[in-house]
Amino acid sequence: MGEPHPKLQATGLTRTFGRAPHAVDALGPLELAVAPGEFVCVVGPSGCGKSTLLRIAAGLLRPSTGTLSIRATSPRPAAMIFQDYGIYDWKTVRANVRFGLDVQRVPRREADARADAWLARTGLSAFADAYPSTLSGGMRQRVAIARALAVEPELLLMDEPFAALDAQLRTILQEELLDLVQATRTTTLFVTHSLEEALLLGDRVLVMSARPGRIIAEHHPPFPRPRTAAVRDAPEFTALKGALRELLRKEAVTA
Amino acid sequence: MSAPPTERAETVLVRRPGPEELHPARAHRRRRVVELSLAAAVPLALVLLWQLAAARGWIDDRVYPAPSTIAADGWHRAVAGQLWPDVAATLGRVLSGYVIGTAAGYALGLLMGSSALVRAALEPLLDALYVVPKLALLPVFLNMFGLGEGPQVALVAATVFFFVWISTMSAVLAVPSGHRDAGRVFGASRWQMFRHVLLPASLPAVLVGARIAAGVAVLVIVAAEQIAASDGLGHLIFDARALFENDVMFVGIVCVALLGVAFSELVRLLGRLLTPWSPRDDERTRT
Repeated sequence: MGEPHPKLQATGLTRTFGRAPHAVDALGPLELAVAPGEFVCVVGPSGCGKSTLLRIAAGLLRPSTGTLSIRATSPRPAAMIFQDYGIYDWKTVRANVRFGLDVQRVPRREADARADAWLARTGLSAFADAYPSTLSGGMRQRVAIARALAVEPELLLMDEPFAALDAQLRTILQEELLDLVQATRTTTLFVTHSLEEALLLGDRVLVMSARPGRIIAEHHPPFPRPRTAAVRDAPEFTALKGALRELLRKEAVTA
Repeated sequence: MSAPPTERAETVLVRRPGPEELHPARAHRRRRVVELSLAAAVPLALVLLWQLAAARGWIDDRVYPAPSTIAADGWHRAVAGQLWPDVAATLGRVLSGYVIGTAAGYALGLLMGSSALVRAALEPLLDALYVVPKLALLPVFLNMFGLGEGPQVALVAATVFFFVWISTMSAVLAVPSGHRDAGRVFGASRWQMFRHVLLPASLPAVLVGARIAAGVAVLVIVAAEQIAASDGLGHLIFDARALFENDVMFVGIVCVALLGVAFSELVRLLGRLLTPWSPRDDERTRT
């Protein structure tokens, strides 16, 4: 991207786990620039360091070498959505969605209003006072999405958010997410195994190699925004998916 | 609604390697040194404070003898061979009671964990017995086994039994049904199911119970020896107090503490050997 000020920029980023004789190189070296408002999908074989990249961006983990810089107005610009929901069983749906706002000390009245607005946008209003354990997997993941977006993050990090859902529910949530991100234009880093998901949602799809993960290919799905689920049926979609699948198959063999 | 507020100044947030990433070996070494020195420094500081308090007369050193006095006295008794009969007596009771209690608790825990009928028959009864303070059973055991080692060993065994029984039963009940189903589909017999699935799956939780029981076993035996024994560390402690030999009393207390630590460490070591797949404690606390 020719943007002069990328939202997120990684230079020479690597991460190693463990110490000397048993050290494992998980990631990089990796160069990456993400423009403001861009939706970047990262695909790659299992264990290629995709999640490590997200965790570094989130500030949960430090890089071993290199840096990752984020342009932001707040000191905690990121929100993250985890594969296993990461929502709390002991909080009601509304309290879960409000959690990020509570942590940021948003006044209760405003926090409730913002939480309720996001509950409405994600179709959860009827469950506001329910506990997550009474919800289905799809509903729980909607709670996680609403919780992340409620803080209006400058950077949204999603770590295989739909991996635990069944195929039908997956497509439904993909479309819901598509609508949400096209409305908010939040800069997003989205890790997934699903090529379809990546092509449907991403402005850019990065393909990572087997461990240690480096970027080996970059695609710009040629579908203008606002997109709808109909792009799934476009011939370019199928062709691009086929090309990416070939690329990943080679990496999966070495992984 | 989430258009970035442009009036606020943008800053660049940099995620960069910290000291742990830049010098992994040095950071690890430093952390080990800090941990080990803290582990040694805290007890040492308390002992020094005690020594100081005794030397300065802040506390009555006839009631609370200085650590140096206790150490010197313990050393003389150990060299003279006066300490070992009591240590040996306590150790023997703890070990035999522990082995009997663990074996019985484990067997019954497995049986009750895998059979709903046995559980229905015995659980209310055992729950009721569980809450009876075991020390209150000492008179019963004295009547049953007479004087000698019998009552003490029985008391330790009864105490240990309940800890191991409860942790074993709940561990077996908590084995995920997917584990059982996989064995059942292959047609595993009861024994095969136990050997390949229930035993290893429940072992980590059982060992936690066994470790707690090891500490409690020492606790109970010392109390029992004070009431009804003519030797052992518990007897030594109480006897010394009656004779106003407070330094000897503290020698006994220190011996009990060391015995308890050694015993539960032994059980932990054994557990680590038995469950090589299970994450170690020190790895569990730091990721």
